[in-house]
Amino acid sequence: MKKTIILGIGNPILRDDGVGIHVADELKKQIDDPNVKIDSAFTGGMNLLDMIIGHDRAILIDAVKIRDKKSGEVNMFKLGELSAFHTANPHDLSLPQAIEMAKRLGETRIPDEIKLVGINLGELPCDFGENLSPEIKNAVPKAVELVKEEVKKNYE
Amino acid sequence: MKIVTIDPITRLEGHGKISIFLDNKGDVENAYLQIPELRGFERFAEGRRAEDMPQITSRICGVCPVAHHFASAKTLDDAFNVQPPSAAKKLRELMYMGYFIYDHILHFYYLGGPDFIVGPDAPASQRNILGVIEKAGVEIGKEVIKHRAYGQKITAILGGKATHPVCGLPGGVSKGLNKDEVKDIEKMTKSCIDFAKFSLKLFDDIVLKNKDYVKLITSDPYQLNTYNMGVVDEKNKVNFYDGKIRVTNQKGDEHLKFDVKDYYNIIAEHVEEWSYMKFPYLKDIGWKGLSDGKDSGIYRVGPLGRLNASEGMATSLADKEYKKMFETLGGRPVNSTLAFHWARLIELLYATERAMELVKDSEITSQKIRNPVGEPGEGFGVTEAARGTLIHHYKLDKDGLIDKANLIVATTNNAGAITMSVRDAAKGVISKGKIDDGILNKVEMAFRAYDPCFACATHTLPGGMPLQADVYNQNKKLLKTIKQNTVEV
Repeated sequence: MKKTIILGIGNPILRDDGVGIHVADELKKQIDDPNVKIDSAFTGGMNLLDMIIGHDRAILIDAVKIRDKKSGEVNMFKLGELSAFHTANPHDLSLPQAIEMAKRLGETRIPDEIKLVGINLGELPCDFGENLSPEIKNAVPKAVELVKEEVKKNYE
Repeated sequence: MKIVTIDPITRLEGHGKISIFLDNKGDVENAYLQIPELRGFERFAEGRRAEDMPQITSRICGVCPVAHHFASAKTLDDAFNVQPPSAAKKLRELMYMGYFIYDHILHFYYLGGPDFIVGPDAPASQRNILGVIEKAGVEIGKEVIKHRAYGQKITAILGGKATHPVCGLPGGVSKGLNKDEVKDIEKMTKSCIDFAKFSLKLFDDIVLKNKDYVKLITSDPYQLNTYNMGVVDEKNKVNFYDGKIRVTNQKGDEHLKFDVKDYYNIIAEHVEEWSYMKFPYLKDIGWKGLSDGKDSGIYRVGPLGRLNASEGMATSLADKEYKKMFETLGGRPVNSTLAFHWARLIELLYATERAMELVKDSEITSQKIRNPVGEPGEGFGVTEAARGTLIHHYKLDKDGLIDKANLIVATTNNAGAITMSVRDAAKGVISKGKIDDGILNKVEMAFRAYDPCFACATHTLPGGMPLQADVYNQNKKLLKTIKQNTVEV
């Protein structure tokens, strides 16, 4: 059985930026599986790497901004499909960089599968607050379902 | 319109833009650093329970959670009229040293150091930690990872989670240390002292023994003759956790020394219409535009600002290195922006030595770690964040809720200096319209030296969107844009 970590990423006090954490909180209510760990993170690539190391796969949930995609759209990506993963930390490496570095240094416990569930933000949040905008709030159940489907693959 | 895209500032995330304007000869007429601002933190804080502020402010930005956490806890000590027990102060300071250890290691090896270790003109794809590992070797790479992790672990042992410290409370801390934890921290700290010494030796070998690098460091485009600011102890030695704020002038003499309570009498903030950033300056000197010299109130904070604003380091090895730096670079103050990197490593050594003093202190396992709070009122707090002086100021209502909050963060304190450094570097390295990746990297180097953290300087989105550089010709027509990612946030 694959050991899976699900990480909601974002800033909990920066409105829609924190959507990944809202999704992770919802998943905690819905998933009860000893092989699945659900956590949230407001940090950059190096610490994210520490958090996913030792798992067979990682599912990250984060706000993204992708041109040509609508606000509130939810998509799943593989690591490497995107040029940058969110690093909540402007003084840090991105996760792909951190992983590449760890591999170069001989780290063998990096998950085989790393996926990102991205919730697209039309506008970057520009003031502090704990609530999501209606559009992004509506995207939360979609992201939750997408993650749950991905988790089910454990049992296929 | 011709737009050239250059793979950019991968180590400089944040949410900023450098605009470079060329004259008809292709030389730099002016360069601006623009940062979009997120407002509303002060409003967000209003009405919240004051004791939640150390947790809330540590979430403003993922870079300096520990600095905000303790600037906030100290502000609450003051606001609730309580002095933490001496053991609690030592525990806070020890945790603070853990933060400096991981933060300074990260900057030198991952962000700032690649310019020197790999080379300022090396292709962008190699000017990063991978290039450092390539050049310095896998074994050194492993040491870097290990010691950064030690800093994190020391912080986590004391603070709960390293990235979300929960230990700071008004009047003290919530958790003490047991003997096993002390042993563990002592062992890691010992290793960190050696690693800090090694890092200074590496700097000596790779940077100081390279004439071209020394020439670069001391070259005109990277000089800035501002006032300097930092927190000092009673002997005017650098202190990260507590003390008076000292300002020195262009001759290295004390210009001011003040308690954080007086900050609004000393510091004012200037606003420019082209930037969302505020530019703090010394009130008694005044705002004279983006210029340096004794008549301009702009000052610098951060590693070099602190060393310039002090008279030494409070630990022996770091103090020797302090003296060596000033002897090598012509005395105090050192005005070279690129010397920030050297100063950062000296501070790393100080943080490790100070951590050892604290962890060996007999009081560190004391369980008397909190004093009861008094009536709520107004509070002020200052700490030195890794990137400079950080001030919190709250007014509490009679129920202990936040009525008003004001923060001046490190990168804001450096706003004027960073803007000038970017402008001067652009003017110095760009001529006749020739701009390539190596040249633009030299502009970025001026910026990177400060280890700016625009996330909280502008209270903005932490990370993700790289800095963008736009170059315009004399007709204000866009010539080049540097931007890489299609995915932001």
